Amino acid sequence: MAAGTQIAVSGASPSPRRRRRAGRGEARAGVLFALPWMIGLATFTIIPLILTFYIAQTKFQIVGPPKYIGLENYEAMWTDAAFWRSAQNTLFFAAVSVPLKLALALGLALLLNRATALSGLYRTVFYLPFLMPAVAGSVVFMLLLTPGAGPVNIILEAFGFNPPDWLRDPDSALWAIIMLSIWPLGVETLVFLGGLQNIPRDVSEAAELDSPEPWHKLWWITLPLITPMILFNLVIGIIYSFQIFAQAIVIGGTTGTPAEATLMYMVVIYRAAFRYFNVGYAAALATVLFFVVLLLALLIFRTARSWVYYEGESR
Amino acid sequence: MALKTKTTSAISRRGFLRGSAAATGALMVLPRGAFAQTEGQLLLWLPGGSDLFCQIHTGLLEGFSAGAGLGPATTVCGLGQDTEFTLALIGSITAGNPPDISMLWDSPVALGSQGAFMALDEMMAGSKISIDTWPAGLLSSCQFKGQTFGLPVTAGVYSMWYNEEMFEAKGISPARADFPKTWADMRALSKEFTVWEGDKLVTAGFMPPRVPETMAIWSALNGGMLYDEANLRYTIDSEQNIEMMNFFLDWLNEEYKGDVNLVDRSGNFLDGYPNSTTGLGPAFREGRLAGMQSGSWLMGDIYGDPVPTFERWNLAAHPTGPSGTASVSGTWPNWFVIPAGSKNPQAAFDYLTYLSTEGVVEWYQQIPDVPTNSQVQAKSPQSLVDRRGAAFADDVTAFLAEQAAVVTPMWNSPVQSFGADQVARALEKIYTKAATPAESLAEAQVASQAELERVLAG
Repeated sequence: MAAGTQIAVSGASPSPRRRRRAGRGEARAGVLFALPWMIGLATFTIIPLILTFYIAQTKFQIVGPPKYIGLENYEAMWTDAAFWRSAQNTLFFAAVSVPLKLALALGLALLLNRATALSGLYRTVFYLPFLMPAVAGSVVFMLLLTPGAGPVNIILEAFGFNPPDWLRDPDSALWAIIMLSIWPLGVETLVFLGGLQNIPRDVSEAAELDSPEPWHKLWWITLPLITPMILFNLVIGIIYSFQIFAQAIVIGGTTGTPAEATLMYMVVIYRAAFRYFNVGYAAALATVLFFVVLLLALLIFRTARSWVYYEGESR
Repeated sequence: MALKTKTTSAISRRGFLRGSAAATGALMVLPRGAFAQTEGQLLLWLPGGSDLFCQIHTGLLEGFSAGAGLGPATTVCGLGQDTEFTLALIGSITAGNPPDISMLWDSPVALGSQGAFMALDEMMAGSKISIDTWPAGLLSSCQFKGQTFGLPVTAGVYSMWYNEEMFEAKGISPARADFPKTWADMRALSKEFTVWEGDKLVTAGFMPPRVPETMAIWSALNGGMLYDEANLRYTIDSEQNIEMMNFFLDWLNEEYKGDVNLVDRSGNFLDGYPNSTTGLGPAFREGRLAGMQSGSWLMGDIYGDPVPTFERWNLAAHPTGPSGTASVSGTWPNWFVIPAGSKNPQAAFDYLTYLSTEGVVEWYQQIPDVPTNSQVQAKSPQSLVDRRGAAFADDVTAFLAEQAAVVTPMWNSPVQSFGADQVARALEKIYTKAATPAESLAEAQVASQAELERVLAG
């Protein structure tokens, strides 16, 4: 009987005042639930970001108070050869590694999308490299690429090639880092695989009936339907590629050996802050990187309207 | 009854959260004792090292604290080498809760000149370890504008290492007194040992130096310097340094096919350890390199893995360059500092006094880091006595003490790391022939001097 009463009460339309009170209560609860995350966001992202913009305008030698110097740190970049060299290396790295990684991940996802008895095993195997720490992966690559004793060159020499001294030759060292960064492509592959498995079977079958050419299906059906995944992988890939650090510092150290071929932008920021204790300059470098990546991301999102297709969207 | 049993044995959500919070709190509080400093109790941080290294320092600090009537001391070992240790230390200093004493494996000048470490001059004056008890060249690695920001309590002392058995096999006297006295003599002797098989270097005599950390020594051996501390000026592109690099490059061309990459593909001819990049073994220990420059720390490792193919090695003084007049040495010290904000500065200084004059005797006996204070009567490392006999070990100990007394000033720039990176870059360009010695050194000079002036500008 009591339960029946409760049902009757809850079934009645509450007054506007009670609704407002309930809404405020829900809002309070929502804010309370979100509060830990918001505090984390403010403490570890927004405040440091604002501080970085401020410190970039100071001379700050890590110990003692920062001294305001205006835009001097930004002016110093124009004459800093390491800034230009690292920017050039990083742009080249991003321009090559991002499309290459996307293409390889897509190809791998297309292969993994075929149902075989060992599909699960293959997916796990291709995801595993992502779990390896970047430093450990770099050390393994360095040993693999050792001239003379390294297995890569031994195999290449056995096939009659004249392999380079990967990590000592300025012409090949950056390519070695590109190879190293492409190796763990498990996440990108999984994202693509998720997109491929979401393509409706009837659409896929209709395409196969329309044209027997697999390329036609890939170009006109598959790729358009996974453009949201391409967009996601592209944006994340660009952000990651501009932040390449662990592989570069393990292979090239703080000077980017050989001949600064592996000197990446993040390494220059790191060494300015924590090796040379020039935190103000490092903050200015970080600020420039922030705006470059932001502009690129905005540019991609802007153009995405013309090439990304979302399900249910009408054009 | 069944319900009651279930209620008492299960952990409620609230109980679980409360328990988790209490456990987390306890975990946070427990190690805090290791990192917070307390008045009357010394806290020492060490950047790294072996378990034995940690045990020695823990024992020395505990023994000193007990004898001085201080509370229980704490030694924190293995906080990470290089940058991560420096960052942890800076973090503790800026947070106002630093250790009382810290060991550093990088020069204290850069951070000391910014106020991170206490100046020790007042405490040193009139103490048992006054300034005149330290070799000037060594102490300069802690000094900036007349202030002393740390103590080089022990050091790896650089000298020339050579394989006596390879010398004897060629009929060359292995006596220290007969070791080459000039670079030209060393280069001439080197040819006796160098054998190529196609593009593979099988054995070699000596290598033209290219380790950035030791270039200050080679520069001093040619009458030059990299950094002029008195005038706060870099001198990387001085005539002596250009002459030095031309000499080494000419040597490389004549004896090593002008190609450092060919040398490096043949083995590790740079130092006495396996190469961390290529994994290739140390040519010296493999009996493929007759001699090399190395620090005294190798004494503790040379009979380890990889086991050397020979038993007898010896040490000699560095030869001098064409423009040099006297042999000098160099060091890589174990520096100790008292961070700004230490709550026990006097007790910390007393410990450093004890460590520099008494504790180092035990330290050196177990790990061959050479005591540097002139008052110390070092006893030879036990491992060396066991391996080569007391006479040889005592001879080497005396020799290293002599070398520590003729150390050239190094590690003394307030922009040490920046300058070192510029020298490393210049060396790479010179040895890969991307630029001439004059061009490369001039570039390093301009960049280092500009950075120095930026920092000194205040």
